[in-house]
Amino acid sequence: MDHFPTNWGRPRNDAIDLYGTYPIHSRPGPTTDAFSDGVQRTQQPIVTGTSVLAIKYKDGIMMAADTLASYGSLARFKSIQRLHSVGEHTVIGASGDLSDYQYIQSLLDEVMIEEFSAADGHSLSPDEIHEFLSRVMYSRRSQMNPLWNSILVGGFKNGKRFLAYVDLLGTTYSASTLATGYGSYIAQPLLRKAVEGNEDTLTEEQARSILTQSLRVLFYRDARSLNKYQIATINAQGTHISDPVTLDTEWSFAEGIRGYGSQTK
Amino acid sequence: MPDMVNLSAHSQQHPQQRQFNPYTENGGTILAIAGADFSVIAGDTRQSEGYSIQTRYAPKVFRLTDRAVLAVNGFAADGNMFVKKVRQRLEWYRHAHAKDMPLRAIARLIQTMLYSRRFFPFYVYNILAGIEEDGSGAVYSFDPVGSYEREACRAAGAGQSLVQPFLDNQIYFKNQKAAHGTSHPAHLPLNTVLSLVIDSFTSATERHIEVGDGLEIYVVLSKGRPMHGLEGLRGMEEVTTTNDGERVFVIRRDLKKD
Amino acid sequence: MFLTRSEYDRGVNTFSPEGRLFQVEYAIEAIKLGSTTVGVRTSEGVVLAVEKRVQSPLLEASSIEKIMEIDTHLGCAMSGLTADARTMIDHARVTAQNHAFTYDERIKVESVTQAVCDLALRFGESVHDEEAMMSRPFGVALLIAGIDELGPQLYHTDPSGTFVRYDAKAIGSGSEAAQSELQDKWHKQITLVEAQTLVLRVLKQVMEEAIDHHNVQLAQVTTGKGFEILDETRLKEVIDSM
Repeated sequence: MDHFPTNWGRPRNDAIDLYGTYPIHSRPGPTTDAFSDGVQRTQQPIVTGTSVLAIKYKDGIMMAADTLASYGSLARFKSIQRLHSVGEHTVIGASGDLSDYQYIQSLLDEVMIEEFSAADGHSLSPDEIHEFLSRVMYSRRSQMNPLWNSILVGGFKNGKRFLAYVDLLGTTYSASTLATGYGSYIAQPLLRKAVEGNEDTLTEEQARSILTQSLRVLFYRDARSLNKYQIATINAQGTHISDPVTLDTEWSFAEGIRGYGSQTK
Repeated sequence: MPDMVNLSAHSQQHPQQRQFNPYTENGGTILAIAGADFSVIAGDTRQSEGYSIQTRYAPKVFRLTDRAVLAVNGFAADGNMFVKKVRQRLEWYRHAHAKDMPLRAIARLIQTMLYSRRFFPFYVYNILAGIEEDGSGAVYSFDPVGSYEREACRAAGAGQSLVQPFLDNQIYFKNQKAAHGTSHPAHLPLNTVLSLVIDSFTSATERHIEVGDGLEIYVVLSKGRPMHGLEGLRGMEEVTTTNDGERVFVIRRDLKKD
Repeated sequence: MFLTRSEYDRGVNTFSPEGRLFQVEYAIEAIKLGSTTVGVRTSEGVVLAVEKRVQSPLLEASSIEKIMEIDTHLGCAMSGLTADARTMIDHARVTAQNHAFTYDERIKVESVTQAVCDLALRFGESVHDEEAMMSRPFGVALLIAGIDELGPQLYHTDPSGTFVRYDAKAIGSGSEAAQSELQDKWHKQITLVEAQTLVLRVLKQVMEEAIDHHNVQLAQVTTGKGFEILDETRLKEVIDSM
């Protein structure tokens, strides 16, 4: 997964240097837009969300995502929610196409209502929700009509933490730290360094500060990110998604930077 | 000026694929070796895409029955789905025929399952190892659309080009001349095979960025075969489920994580 | 007796108040009109024998086919409406070939028997307003002989789709007398050669005509040669040695 959702699901091409300055970067692939010949399938994401981060900590899972929905390079909607709780024990968070994501939310809500209506005393556990989501994502990719997202599923049930990933190809995996999109390059190394081996000792406080710091780094580096974010905790108390918080950032150092841009001396 | 013409032609050479690509490569390596009355099958546990490690632990080797173990490598989503479907077929077979499917039958089943998707393949390289009905160790290898053969050893995946030549030399004794008046053995003992497997993976880990993190080695022993070469191995665990006679063990080791 | 049945003996999907399916029972009756067919299992293989009713001297006896091959390791003898058996054996052959194609192994005798019996129960089956595939039960019973990893086996199937394994079994018009004879004569150590003469002796007892190589057919499934129908010369040899 690279940091351009437009490139997801397209062949990786090592011959193209995404960071190169010459020739000027342009997205490899079709030059016509999605509406040129009456599209029925998601051929490219339109309104997108950037990274989602998630880690294991002592009491459960903590997830974070900013509240921006981009329309290409336009910061189109600055207050959308990308973390969504599914039942009592699970939160999902997605990057990629937000209309596809909202469809997934309604799909899961429907399933949860059906399960609730059964009134059999059973509620879907995080791993079951992830398995279901994987089947949906894989079957849609197999119909060549993918849901253009990478999704993190975090959960806590019966004393067990659950954290896993699934994307538009149906690829799944699990680890104690996960990040989607740009975050998989920028935040994942920071998260691994802070979390791996400390999953059972990190406090909620520490976990929150690790995620906040990673979001801050992302905001400095990812041009499609926003300094407004939400954090979700999933633990024995259930799920909780915070109100949007604004990152405190420091830009004064920019004055001192020399060597590029307008300050060449 | 010819340079200018070339440059502008070059900038036009971006791939013009507009269709969604339903595949990716998730790296990793798998390997299997057949002995006279055992087989060994192993895979690393790293799952990656491009230069990113997605997880350090995603198993690629799966126990199917007490005499068959399957390793899948390639596109992870297809691999997991394929194993799921094979397992389903094994269960149906067990209900219909009141026995576990023999190794050779599993091999043929895998061919038919892969070939049935000839025009939208499971992008997966399969290696199947276990014990045949006659008690001999066996390895079957497949391509994504179902071509298969029984072999003494096979490596597949990212590290195939590093590991297979090594196995050709050490298992088939390619480019080796036996000392005068002696001949190369047809089958190697278990402890030798295990050393070869571990060395193969440490070497592939050293030289291939997509190989590493963890190693899972499955050993399948024929009915009544003593443990020779397995006792007291570090990180070993028995995962046999029936009393049919064949026994399955898994050995878990760390590989370098860089 | 038939008067009381009349309400419930038409539909193949209708149980009588006593819980019976008369059409199936009638189909089982049809077998008792068929020619006698005998099968005997030994440790070396299974022997099948049928009586051919040669009703006219002008009839070409060799054209009566009541023993058929299902696969190299499977054979089948029938009694009853033999035309029905063609459908069943066709199904058995396809099932056996499909199994060999998919699993690269010979299908088990029980599995192929099960497949045939699954078909036997498909009468009266229809979806919504579609025509039913089969309108009545099969009027034939089969003796399925074969060898697999469990050794030589003999199965009996009837129109109800029930199947049972036997050491020795007789079906058809002379089955009652034949079965009791088999019960007397069969023993665990019986050899293949003994079984060949046993089945013919049993047939001879229940046949009206004198037995010869025209009015009986003998087949066997053995470990070495699989399924084979004994040709006239070999059949004659067995008859002579009786």
